[in-house]
Amino acid sequence: MNSAFWIISAVMVLGAVLAVTLRNLVHCVLALILFFIGIAAHYFLLRADFLGTVQILIYVGAVAVLILFAIMLTHNVTGTDGPRELLGLKWWSGAAIAAVLAYLLTRAIQSDKLAATLPAGDKAQSSVAEIGKALVAGWVVPLEAIAVLLTAALIGAVVIALEELRKSR
Amino acid sequence: MFASVPDWMVRVTAFLIPIAFIFGVYPAIFALTTLVERKALGRIQNRYGPNRVGIFGILQPLADGLKILLKEDIVPRVADKFTHFLAPVLIVIPGLLVYLVVPVAPGMVAVDLKIGVLFALAVGTVSVIALFMAGWASRNKFSLLGAVRAVAQVVSYEVPTVMAGVAVIMAAGTLSTLTIVERQGGGILNVSNWYVFRPWGLVGFVLFIIGGLAESARCPFDLPEAESELIGGYHTEYSGFKFALFQMGEYLAGMAMAGVTVTLFLGGYMGPGSGPGLAGGLISMFWFFAKLAGMIVLNIWIRGTWPRLRVDQLMGFAWKVLLPLALVNIVAVGFWHFLTPRPLAWVVTTGWLVIWFLVLTKCNASARLEKREYRYV
Amino acid sequence: MNYPGKGLMEGLAVTARNFVGSYFYKDRLTTVQYPEERVQTPENSRTFPFLVFEDSPDKPRCTACKICETECPPKCIYIVMDRDDKGKPMQRPKVFDIDISVCMQCQICVEVCPFDAIKMDNDYEKSKYERFDALVERLPDLLKPNEYYRKVKPTEASEVDARLKAEAEAKAAKKAAAAAAAAAKAAAQPPPAPTGTVT
Repeated sequence: MNSAFWIISAVMVLGAVLAVTLRNLVHCVLALILFFIGIAAHYFLLRADFLGTVQILIYVGAVAVLILFAIMLTHNVTGTDGPRELLGLKWWSGAAIAAVLAYLLTRAIQSDKLAATLPAGDKAQSSVAEIGKALVAGWVVPLEAIAVLLTAALIGAVVIALEELRKSR
Repeated sequence: MFASVPDWMVRVTAFLIPIAFIFGVYPAIFALTTLVERKALGRIQNRYGPNRVGIFGILQPLADGLKILLKEDIVPRVADKFTHFLAPVLIVIPGLLVYLVVPVAPGMVAVDLKIGVLFALAVGTVSVIALFMAGWASRNKFSLLGAVRAVAQVVSYEVPTVMAGVAVIMAAGTLSTLTIVERQGGGILNVSNWYVFRPWGLVGFVLFIIGGLAESARCPFDLPEAESELIGGYHTEYSGFKFALFQMGEYLAGMAMAGVTVTLFLGGYMGPGSGPGLAGGLISMFWFFAKLAGMIVLNIWIRGTWPRLRVDQLMGFAWKVLLPLALVNIVAVGFWHFLTPRPLAWVVTTGWLVIWFLVLTKCNASARLEKREYRYV
Repeated sequence: MNYPGKGLMEGLAVTARNFVGSYFYKDRLTTVQYPEERVQTPENSRTFPFLVFEDSPDKPRCTACKICETECPPKCIYIVMDRDDKGKPMQRPKVFDIDISVCMQCQICVEVCPFDAIKMDNDYEKSKYERFDALVERLPDLLKPNEYYRKVKPTEASEVDARLKAEAEAKAAKKAAAAAAAAAKAAAQPPPAPTGTVT
């Protein structure tokens, strides 16, 4: 728990708060990107450099771009029309759900035994070779399941595009 | 005397020196590249390049820089000011970050990451966000279209590029750029072990060059720029220093991709005479910058020669030809690794790649138009 | 043998040949390094008019007849005839202004001049630092010697010179013939009869 942890966490929390409170949707996505980079920084802090780099590659490079494309198709990006209600019913119900979730997560993390079985922070060395070996040796079934899921999504996207093409002809 | 320097100062200096090197050398190469590009393109087009400012135009980058700094910075009234301001900054940063993992001489890499190659490729994808931000913030339909096309192009060409890099990673067995360069040493004159001289390496090299051209939006993939010649593109509403930052980001990204290509395929700093020590280190640096210059010259040569691809041709090329070729290349590396007698590995790998190259180009060839018949009625 | 990508490689060869050739074959580069070198303009290119004088600037061919001022379509010429002390018009201009920001280089003034006094120059470097006053050419700037005209437009000048000389000779010959005829007439006439001898 050194100072880097607190600085990164502060930036992440700032990013998350901005992502849900800003009016302009594109600014919200930029704050979300800040949040993703904060997560990547945490990974680097935990010596999981492969995971951190993949976090940037996937989340910032692909997911954020996807969200931006989706936002482009919405109408009310600047969020200027319509009054905003602070502390109304929506806010209280959201706060209640967030509190319940926070409680459950805290309990789950505190009662977790995984940390005891792994070496301490300074001695933890994750290597890409071990991740690779684990993926194809121990966890090959989930890997293939995810691959099938992605292929199905890809085929679905192509089918939808083909339908549009056929309709436009 | 030096023993009394505090430890933190040593560490800070130790990481400031490579950063100063990167900030000093690569923008200087960028300035020189703009001049060399204009003069080389001029010679290709049977004219002189700029030769008024200083002998052989050597002070032209200075004049350009001064001109663009003194231009008025116009921001549209309806533009999103924060995003408009941030986009050019975000384009330059990923370009500079890639240089951190490019080794220039034995042991001389700014940060020796265990995941060097992956870091270089991941950081390159961050520039996509900046492109989109630039196009969106301008509040201009043509800018948005240009940005969308640029984003689509960059994202599509990242996939074959990364796959081509994966082939090298498989062969070297490591993600660290320094180790990859070290593996390409030895052999005849430190040259014959370069990955470009292997069949899968040659295909990977070509794929990586094409991907590098597309990611930095250079000809023949400069559709975002071409739109800026015709309509707008994502940097319409930028003038003055912000525009200069866009150009700098594009050139720095292009040179960074050239640097990564040199590292992965052309043996980095390996050449006759490179090795540890002062003399070997200097020779290695010379070889690295010579190869980088060669790649930049290749980029300029290609820019002066090939016409621009249309956006549908561009996307079709990436997804229908380059991606299958990249996957086939990965299988070829597998063959290379597991077939033990070397000549057999050569024959099988080369045959596999040639067959697939011909099949893919045949399948994707455009329809052969018949000779037109004119009837004069 | 056609392989995929053949056209691309041939294109690269062409540009490489262009690049290397531009260093060794100087006739590939057609650039003219203006302002150190200039492209030779053809002889009958024209820009703005100028006035011709034969021997000295005080005796220009122009007689301030104002025909060019009348015929000029955009009316860019302004002429004032010179008058001597007694107010008698001398046949030469005192003021001759041509506004070259208005002149459209149509050459009509040259075509209508009966004295071959105004001709077209082909000097195109006429930029000035101001727009209105500096772009009006006045009489001292416009007067240029006949040698200049011969240098700039040799064919035209030699043709004009030949024509003027022929006209001058014809006039001189006619005058000489008239004088000879008068002398001959005077010589052929009988001498006047003496008065006062008739008875």
